[in-house]
Amino acid sequence: MSPLEFNILSIALFCIGIVGVISRRNIFVIYMSVELMLNAINLILASFSKTNGNMNASAIALLMMAVIAAEAGVFLAIIMQLYRNKKSIDSNDHTSLSQKEFS
Amino acid sequence: MLLENSIFALLAIFLLTGSITVIWAESIIYSAFGFLTALIAVAGLFALLNNSFLFLAQLMVSVGAVVVLTLIVIMTMNLKDKNMPKEPYKNIWIVFSSLLLIPFAIMLYKGVSKIGNFKEIKENFGDIKSMGEALFNNWILPFEIVSVLLLSALVGAIIIGRKELYR
Repeated sequence: MSPLEFNILSIALFCIGIVGVISRRNIFVIYMSVELMLNAINLILASFSKTNGNMNASAIALLMMAVIAAEAGVFLAIIMQLYRNKKSIDSNDHTSLSQKEFS
Repeated sequence: MLLENSIFALLAIFLLTGSITVIWAESIIYSAFGFLTALIAVAGLFALLNNSFLFLAQLMVSVGAVVVLTLIVIMTMNLKDKNMPKEPYKNIWIVFSSLLLIPFAIMLYKGVSKIGNFKEIKENFGDIKSMGEALFNNWILPFEIVSVLLLSALVGAIIIGRKELYR
């Protein structure tokens, strides 16, 4: 195995995450796509760690795992509050901060 | 070598299938199980890269905490069909946005394609001792900042999730 295969895999995971963020309207799917992008970054950092032969990139990946956990908690609290407000998880319904007029 | 390559192919299939399920499935619960599959496959790829401590941390944090929290929230909200968003043009959106992302993916591939091969690793690479040495010698300030970040995220999630916020 070469690092290129791991890097191609993590690029594919990152692009799938971007597609999920820009093409779906379900808030849960947007949240899971953001998590997938963060995991792609973790995977490429672990691959760099083995390429360099020391553990510094793995330490960054471990710190990022804590950031992923914090982001998950806050994001799920926001989703529950949005659902309690308007009884909908469509991202087009939550436009009360926007200045444009949506139909 | 053949064993490692076949394990890599199996994990790659699991990862891509799970992540495509996340963005393509109609029901949220299928998306959550695809998410679970993708995270377990990422943990297996960490183990394939000799990072045993990252493998354990991924299993405990991402699979054990994040996915379980997501499933609890989905099951608590108990969504009916009338609450789900109507997405009549979902497949067209997915196909066209993936076509738009092809140049971006080629750019990222050009960035990583010159990286050399794996180095010969030391025998204690990736276990908890070398991870602790790297973490507490070079990354001690980000480690402390992460503890403050976790505390503030805990308090923030409690404050945001309260019921009487908008009353």
